[in-house]
Amino acid sequence: MDKNEVQVRVKKVIAKVLKVSEENISDEANFIFDLGADSLQSVELVAAFEEEFQIEMAEDKALEVQTVSDAVKFISQYLN
Amino acid sequence: MSSDVYDKIKNIERIFCPQSIAVLGANKVKGTVPSDILTNILKAEYKGVVYPVNPRERHISSIKTYKYVVDIEDPIDIAVIVYPSSVMHMALEQCGQKGIKGAIIISAGFKEVGGQGIEREEQIKAIAKKYGMSFIGPNCLGVINTDPAVMLDASFARKMPEEGNIAFISQSGALCTAVLDYAQAKHIGFSKFVSIGNKADISEIDLLYYLKDDPKTKVILIYLEEISDGPALMKAARTVIEETGKPVLAIKSGRTKAGASAAASHTGSLAGSDEACDAAFKQAGIIRCYDIEEMFNKAIAFTYQPLPNGKRVAIITNAGGPGVLTTDAAIKCGLELPKFLPETTEILKKSLPKTANINNPVDVIGDARADRYSVAISSVIKDENVDGVFIILTPQSMTEIESIAHEITRVASQFSKPIYTSFMGEADVAAGIDILQRNKIPHYILPESMPIAFVSTYQFKRMLEVKQEPVEPFKDIDIEAAHSILNQALSEGKKYLPEEEAVKVLEAYNFPVLKSGLATSEEEAVNLSEELGYPIVMKIMSEDIVHKFDVGGVVLDIKSKKEVAAAYKNIITNVKKFNPAAKIKGVFVRKMIPPGEEVILGVKRDNTFGAVVMFGLGGIFVEIYKDVNFRIAPLDNKSVDKLITETKASEILSGARGRIPRDMKSLKECIFRLSQLAIDCPQIKELDINPLIVLEDGKGSFVADTKIML
Repeated sequence: MDKNEVQVRVKKVIAKVLKVSEENISDEANFIFDLGADSLQSVELVAAFEEEFQIEMAEDKALEVQTVSDAVKFISQYLN
Repeated sequence: MSSDVYDKIKNIERIFCPQSIAVLGANKVKGTVPSDILTNILKAEYKGVVYPVNPRERHISSIKTYKYVVDIEDPIDIAVIVYPSSVMHMALEQCGQKGIKGAIIISAGFKEVGGQGIEREEQIKAIAKKYGMSFIGPNCLGVINTDPAVMLDASFARKMPEEGNIAFISQSGALCTAVLDYAQAKHIGFSKFVSIGNKADISEIDLLYYLKDDPKTKVILIYLEEISDGPALMKAARTVIEETGKPVLAIKSGRTKAGASAAASHTGSLAGSDEACDAAFKQAGIIRCYDIEEMFNKAIAFTYQPLPNGKRVAIITNAGGPGVLTTDAAIKCGLELPKFLPETTEILKKSLPKTANINNPVDVIGDARADRYSVAISSVIKDENVDGVFIILTPQSMTEIESIAHEITRVASQFSKPIYTSFMGEADVAAGIDILQRNKIPHYILPESMPIAFVSTYQFKRMLEVKQEPVEPFKDIDIEAAHSILNQALSEGKKYLPEEEAVKVLEAYNFPVLKSGLATSEEEAVNLSEELGYPIVMKIMSEDIVHKFDVGGVVLDIKSKKEVAAAYKNIITNVKKFNPAAKIKGVFVRKMIPPGEEVILGVKRDNTFGAVVMFGLGGIFVEIYKDVNFRIAPLDNKSVDKLITETKASEILSGARGRIPRDMKSLKECIFRLSQLAIDCPQIKELDINPLIVLEDGKGSFVADTKIML
């Protein structure tokens, strides 16, 4: 899966979990600071990424993912 | 005041009295910290403008909400930040860009959690520094200012306290909420209330300087778990007290965990971190309290009533037992129960029943109503032999509890002498206590608490009257000589100085040390003794023997050549028996000092406060009697006087029970020299002069033995 496709699907997941419109999600957006996620939603995001991409993210590493670009990079590396 | 300090104080003023506040991370989820912070600001009817910031909400509590703080069109004075620690740097960076100079960082997840938290704390400190910003926290409850012109409750406490004159600074947020609850029940008001959390930027020291000039604050209370800069805290407290007369009361918790560690010197063993803290607080004028109740018992005495002019108190009671209890407690605290003037006794005699006690303590008898209390209080408080009045009430069937409380309030407002009360009991006296507390008359559940609070105010007043005088440093000293000995020993990896070198360090500081020499044979010992003159003292010189007396390594009062030779042999035999591997340098020979009182002087370097100077009863039983006292170097005249007079040894030295009065002038000089040595030579970790023999008045003092640990 190429990076662009990962990015599109990551944004879709974020939009669904955080209930924000996709066009308001910039590539560098921080889940908490820019998109208003709380701590519970941060955990929900990780779970949603795992389901979307059929992967298992190590908890400590997954919580270090704080921005859209972090998520795209992390998931791409994982898939490849 | 440097410009940095000035800017910080200005920023603290902004934090307490902002015109506008941005709440970064506010949300709509009731019962969460981000929501409660905003709710509290609104509930307190804050007099400025508040701007919630949240990237997802358009409005919170009907207030327009901004995505970022930089989006707010108006200028913002301070930010209250409740974002998680992982994005705190982004929030603070935007605050800096917005030109905000003060922040309250509520969120946890910093130094207190270790690891990445420590890095995050360093990161936000750097951002604040870059923008000239000051902040409270992180990891704190928040800030409250009850000034009606401000009405700021930027905290997640349950309720805003009443307005008052007490400022409270706490390192524990949870304790803050308990204190607020405690204070509310007693109608104790606050001027400022601040939880400093990790105190990464604004500390109790900065707040002391700010509160010094705060017109709403009369008394400052501090709860501390950790003191980051002991000398700076002492300086700040002293400045507040000396310049404004505002008392500073403090609880320092964690008293038991850092006791004195096993140490080679007596001073090292006796001067634990808590002793150092105690000494530092006393020296700075900080009134140390050991629990919240004691702190508030004293705080209300300071804030509600005038300070007493003396320590003579009158007690008025309607019950004999509590009167006696209070009398005992008063005497134990060092207070006096004076005899009344004849005119006072005359009024009491005329107005009270024959069965009443018209002397001090006055017993108005169990059936006393408000009129009896009134006449007793009014006449006694006018008596010029009386500096303060304690009023005790026990609820009998005919006791007019509320009327008596009103009467006390009325009389107290007419006189400038302190009146304290104790309405004993709980349910029946509750309404009376409420009247007293609302009218700012100090009330104590236990009557014995009244003398404890009173004596604290009396001692504080006395302390304000005695000014500290700086002491000129001695010029007849040779710092280089002392440094050279100490540095040489350190470079050789020595942990302590051999006695002959320790003596040289003291000689460099012109301590009264008698002439001496080292003998490596019987013959040398005899020759040296003949040269010095008898009587002689001989001591083993070995780096492997620390407590020489205990191993038979010391012989006193040697009067002839023959005794010198025998002593030399005995000392060597004893030491070899105790430790066959001990490396013996020889035997130290010194003229014996004439008889006098043995005291100990010592130094220990404390991690928080620096050089702790010890004084006390000396000799081999120092650690058994523990009659020692401490102060922090450098010492001034007042500190040295207190260092000596707070010990029992002081009475012995002054000639108690027919003993010869000793040379206090030379003793004080030795303590001043020791203080200077401790400041000049940080290489010294611990030092004992034990004993210092203090001769009779006018004849000086002499160092008999010394140890220096590096």
